[in-house]
Order: sequence, then structure tokens, then C-alpha cells
Amino acid sequence: MDELIRNSETINRLLARYGVKFGIYKNGEFKEQLFPFDPIPRVIKHDEFIYLEKGLKQRVDALNCFLSDIYGRKQIVKDGIIPEEFIFSAKGFLAPCDGVAPPKNIYSHISGIDLVQSKDDSWYILEDNLRVPSGASYPMIARELQRRSAPDVFSDNSVVDNRNYAELLKEVMDNVNTGGINVILSPGRYNAAFFEHSYLAEQTGAVLTTGKDIVCEGDNLYYIDYNGRKQRVGAVYRRISDEYLDPMTFYEESVIGIPHIFEAYRKGNVALLNAPGNGVADDKGIYYFVPKMIKYYLGEDAILMNAPTYLPYYEEDMNYVLSHFDDLVIKDVAEAGGYGVVFGNSLTAEKKADFIALLKSQPRRFIAQEVIDFYDLDILDENGGLVARKADLRAFVLTGSTTKVWPSGLTRFSRNPDSFIVNSSQGGGFKDTWVLSR
Amino acid sequence: MFLPQDTQRQTITDLSIDVDSCEKFMITDDSFKNKKLYGKITEPHSTFAVRISGTAEAGLDIFEEYTDYPFGAILLKAQTDLTKPGEKLLQYHKELGVHGLESAYDKALYIMRTLPDVFSYNPGSTEIHETAENAFTLGKGVCQDYAHIMLSLLRMEHIPARYVVGMMLGEGSSHAWVEALCNGYWYGFDPTNNKLVNDEYIRVSCGRDSSDCSIIRGSFYGYGVQKQSESVTVEEIN
Repeated sequence: MDELIRNSETINRLLARYGVKFGIYKNGEFKEQLFPFDPIPRVIKHDEFIYLEKGLKQRVDALNCFLSDIYGRKQIVKDGIIPEEFIFSAKGFLAPCDGVAPPKNIYSHISGIDLVQSKDDSWYILEDNLRVPSGASYPMIARELQRRSAPDVFSDNSVVDNRNYAELLKEVMDNVNTGGINVILSPGRYNAAFFEHSYLAEQTGAVLTTGKDIVCEGDNLYYIDYNGRKQRVGAVYRRISDEYLDPMTFYEESVIGIPHIFEAYRKGNVALLNAPGNGVADDKGIYYFVPKMIKYYLGEDAILMNAPTYLPYYEEDMNYVLSHFDDLVIKDVAEAGGYGVVFGNSLTAEKKADFIALLKSQPRRFIAQEVIDFYDLDILDENGGLVARKADLRAFVLTGSTTKVWPSGLTRFSRNPDSFIVNSSQGGGFKDTWVLSR
Repeated sequence: MFLPQDTQRQTITDLSIDVDSCEKFMITDDSFKNKKLYGKITEPHSTFAVRISGTAEAGLDIFEEYTDYPFGAILLKAQTDLTKPGEKLLQYHKELGVHGLESAYDKALYIMRTLPDVFSYNPGSTEIHETAENAFTLGKGVCQDYAHIMLSLLRMEHIPARYVVGMMLGEGSSHAWVEALCNGYWYGFDPTNNKLVNDEYIRVSCGRDSSDCSIIRGSFYGYGVQKQSESVTVEEIN
């Protein structure tokens, strides 16, 4: 362990040299910043991982069933398990996807499920990310560099080898590939996660493209290489959001999308990872219903718990929220990345009154959660001492012919000692995540 | 862009499609079962035109039977960004006296009949994608605004309803109206003309609101401004 700490500076320097950066848009300006790496790993014991793995697979399988149902026969709404207001008027529900089944009926191929561990050691699901969850490349490259600097540490501590992420990802793409090459579609150099796009392309052997060299002809997708040769594309791991994917179907002003790619997808001629329209399932409002979904589709009780959540949409929950306002954290369901999060006790009396008025006029827009007292993890401060910081874990769950959990993950921590928000877009750092083999 | 197609109300024959300099165009069904015509032009060009002509036999039926799987229309009960009511529409709906009526058809008819009392036809007063609430507050607008307002009110009554684009005898451009699902049948209501859709109407496409069925959409690479115009001619043959 001392060895890892000693090498910490070198590793951060190497990460900077490899361009392991995170881009942030702030006030309309693009800034790239390093994603600081902390050398002390989060350690997950073998039994604990088995438990997490089981729970995550169950959750992602149920979410895939839900997406297939919503864009298909909508039984869960018909059976009254989820009110229609939470689905068909949600921003994430995309009408053009209605009635379109993706190859092998898989919607969420790469799911990033965020968890936190509370002080009593229980794990809670914080949120599901089923659109384009990012972050797997950071622990991948950090582990690679650490292995180089201290190879024995990993075998001595029985750490499960996590170098299989690219292999898992390739398998997931190959599984739904409709005949042709795999490509990774990136919006380009100024995207927050561009480092990751290029790294994953290199690791999986997929072609990295910004869409300028992809054309859709006769409802098939082709990649045109630098010799002008056309190659059919069978799977697109797209790292651009739904709205920008196809100007002919979604946001018309998009210049980073591929015109008519949605038609190729609709006809089953190409796989899109993840499927468009997944936003209807990772909405913070839908989060509340995931345990019910698990029961409904799989007939099982949820293994992993949600953080205790209230939906002001239900009168009973609204009353609870109003009477316990100061103890709760309120989240705007349409926001992501740590934005739109309000801690009840942080508001002045005036702001609180305004907020409650807003909550009452738009109850569907918010959820309220008990504040979970996270388990703190030690990080190294500037002087080489240890300080405790809030941290979460993003687990990567990949659905190919079966659903698998990557035996690692992205542990993010907040650098600010008082902050509970660990999103990388809010300037936090990351750690390696060790899963032990025994 | 969308092509008119056969329904219980109309049959389309002799359809001819002529697209300038387009290498290859395709036709597909979208999720609202519209017939969509699409393609691309790779050669540099300064104009391009699409000409569609054909013969429609209209008014075969006054309704269209709902044949999708039961419950499939539920998404047409949800308000969209354009139909979502604000304070003014909510207030109007509350005082409208539509709640007492029994059937969806009666409600739709009542909404259409009473709309001219508070809304009048006036081109040029609203924007291209104006919300129902803004248009209603203004009190005047075009067929699109009438349709959005009626959709908003129908959906407040939990009646599945869709925006319809089509053509009418004697108009110089396309027209828009509303279809409401009443007791298993889609009925057409034209709030702009305050009348039920009959054999003077040729239906082209439908969606949740106008943004789902723009006459034409597309994108291009290059500089320059674009200007778009449409012209519709409908003549009676016998």
C-alpha cells in the first residue's frame, strides 16, 4: 500500500500526460480539467461483491424488461403499477421509439448504476444511468498505470483482475451487431468524456468516429475509411445523446448526428448502444418504482435497496415531505450530474417558502429522499495525511447474451469536506475500486 | 415529408412522387403509422422541390376504427410541450362546463363548438411552434393553434387525441385539425372551421402535436440561408 501512495504523484502526472481529462461546460465556456486520482483504493470484499452483483443484475434485467414493455405493450401502466403521468409526459419518453424493438430486445447494454454505502454498511442505489453512462475508462487506465508501478500489490492482495472491461464491452457490441463493424460514435474532441471514447475504441478494436465519415444509404449504415472504402456498420456504441442522434427524427438543428440513422435502426439494420429512449427508465421519478418493477417483471423482491424516497405526487408523501422538509434532499427529476439538488436545511426561510410553492404547483417534477449518511473513505490530502471524504460507487453492468457486472467500478469522492455531491462534473476525484477474490 | 395514405375515410390512387435530383428516396412507417418519404442529395444544389400528386376518394366513412392494440393510444393522452396548459387554459377548462357531459364524443364536440367564443382566426399573430397556452392567451391564431388548444382541452379530459395535418378543398396551403378517440373510433374535428371532418378533407399525417408532423424537415451541410414554401391545390373531380 505504501508503494501505491509513494507512486501517487507519478501516476497523476502520467494520467495528465495521457490526457485523462474531464471537460466541463461552465457559463457556456468549455474547460478541461484533470480528474484527480487518489491512490488509496476502495476495497470490496468477495462476499459483498457477490451480493452487489446479484442485486445489480436483477435491477438491470428488470429495467430492460420495463423499457421493452413501455415501448411495446405498456402492461405495467395498464396494470396500474406506475401512473401514466410518470411515463408518457416524461422528457425521456421518445414517441418515435414507440413500437420499435432493438436487436435482441436489449435496451440498456451498458448501465452505470450509482450506489452509496451508509455508515451502517448497507448499500443503497442512488440512481440508474441507462443512457450514456461514462467513467469506466478512468479506473481502467489508473489500474493499468498502478500495475506498472507496483505489480505485486494486486496479486498479494488477491485483487480480481479488472482488465476484462474492453472484452466485456466488445462481447456486448458483438452480441447485437447486425453484420458489420463496431464503431464508437463520439461528438468529438470537445465532449466531456472524449478521452474515454478514444480509449475504449482503442481497447475494443472499434472504429472511433465523429459521424462525419458515417453515411446511411438504403436504410443501412456505412463507415467510409480514409481510402474511400465503404464498410457496413453493425453496431454503434454512440456517446451522443438521443436528441442529437438523428436530425431527421430528433433535434433538427443537430450537426453531430447522422441523418436517417434512426430509420436504419427502426428496420433492425443496425444496433444502437444504448437504445434511444432509455431516458424514460432512469428518470429520478421512475427510480421510485424500480423495486416495484423488479417484483412485477421478475417476481422477485429487490435485493438492493433504493434510498428511502418520497413522491410528492402522492398526497401522503407530499404531507411527509412538507413536515420533514429540513431532513430531506429534494431532487428535480429532469436534472442530472448533481444539478437541481436541494438540501432542505440549506435554504433560507424565504427561499424555502418559494421552493415549497414550486413543489406544490409541480409535484410531479420532484422527488424527496432521506439524506443518507455516507460511509466516508480516506483520501490523501496535499500534505500526505489522510482525510475522510464522501464517496459513491458507479458500477458498470453490461448486458450481452447475459448480464454481467464488471468486477471494479468508478469510485468518486467529493473534494469539498462538506459536500455530499460527488459527480465528476462538480469537480470531484476518483479512486480505484478493488474487488477481492476471496 | 409525409404521404397521404389509405384509411377507412379515404383511398389514394395514382400517387406520383417527383423529387428533384434525389438519387434514391425511401418510404417508411413512423411510430404514428404515417407514411414518411425521405432521402438525401449529395450533389451541391441551390434549390430542390418535391411534387406529389394523386387522386383521393374522401368521405368514405365519418370515423376510423381504432385497430392498434388496446391501450396503445395512451401516449396520446399525455400533454406535450406545445399542448401543456398554463394558468389561462386551466382556468378556461375549469369554467367550460365540459365535465358534466358523458361521452368523449360529446365533450369533443362541445369543446369545438365553444372555442370560437374565445378564439378567432388571425394569421400572422402566432409563431411557427407556438404553445397552446400562448396562443390562447393571445386569443387569435391559425389552424395549428386551434388544434393545439383543442388537444390541450381534450387531454385535460383524459381523451386520447392527435394532431392531424391534411388538405382541404379550396385552400392554398396545408391544414391542421384534431382527431379524438371516442368509444373505439377516431373522429375528426376541425376547430378552425367549427365543423366535423367530412369528404372535403384529405388526411396526410398525425402525431402528438405539430412538431411530430411538420410538412417537411431536414438538414444540410454548408453555409447559406434557406427559404421554404409550400403550395397545395385540391380540386374536385366529380
